[in-house]
Amino acid sequence: MTEPTLKDKVQQLIAENPVLLFMKGTPEAPACGNSMRAIAAIEPYGVEYGALDVLPALEPLREVTGEIADWRTFPQLYVNGELVGGADIIEEMNESGELAELLGVERPEGQPMSAKQELKADDPQQSPPIQIER
Amino acid sequence: MALVDDVKTLIEGAIPGSQVEVIDEGGGDHLRVNVTASHFEGMSRIEQHRLVKSAVRERSDTGELHSLTIKTSVPQ
Repeated sequence: MTEPTLKDKVQQLIAENPVLLFMKGTPEAPACGNSMRAIAAIEPYGVEYGALDVLPALEPLREVTGEIADWRTFPQLYVNGELVGGADIIEEMNESGELAELLGVERPEGQPMSAKQELKADDPQQSPPIQIER
Repeated sequence: MALVDDVKTLIEGAIPGSQVEVIDEGGGDHLRVNVTASHFEGMSRIEQHRLVKSAVRERSDTGELHSLTIKTSVPQ
């Protein structure tokens, strides 16, 4: 059997995580202002989401997401297998109420609750995409 | 040409009839654009953003344009 490609792994991740964020850095330590904006918009909903740090394989992931979703910048939010957008779209949809509708939850009020699930490159269960063979 | 003007020209060229406002948010390479175009009518937000991004892709790829914040709208 042939080894799954990075594209296969990314597609699998998107299929397996109803809410998935590709970002620079981690939810605890976003490494870019736009990734931080995305996290700030999503976190208060308290929905479970997967977060994948793209920095370890930035250029390959740019190529692959370009092929899959015609989008080459990060962050990228996928909900139910579909690309929702980057930080600007996430923020706009948060403000308009569309994000709540998309996530199937009420728009949060008051203190954010968090239920994040971080995918790590070295976590054997969730890992695939970031392991790049050199 | 300053990147601000360059980006404006590229987007206007790629999206027919668009009104493009480019704002320098710092250092000349962190830009914010407001793009209004009737061409966007009927397109999803993500399709609208894809058009804007692809117009300036070359500048993003070279790293000349570091960050682009996009707001799109259809004229009333």
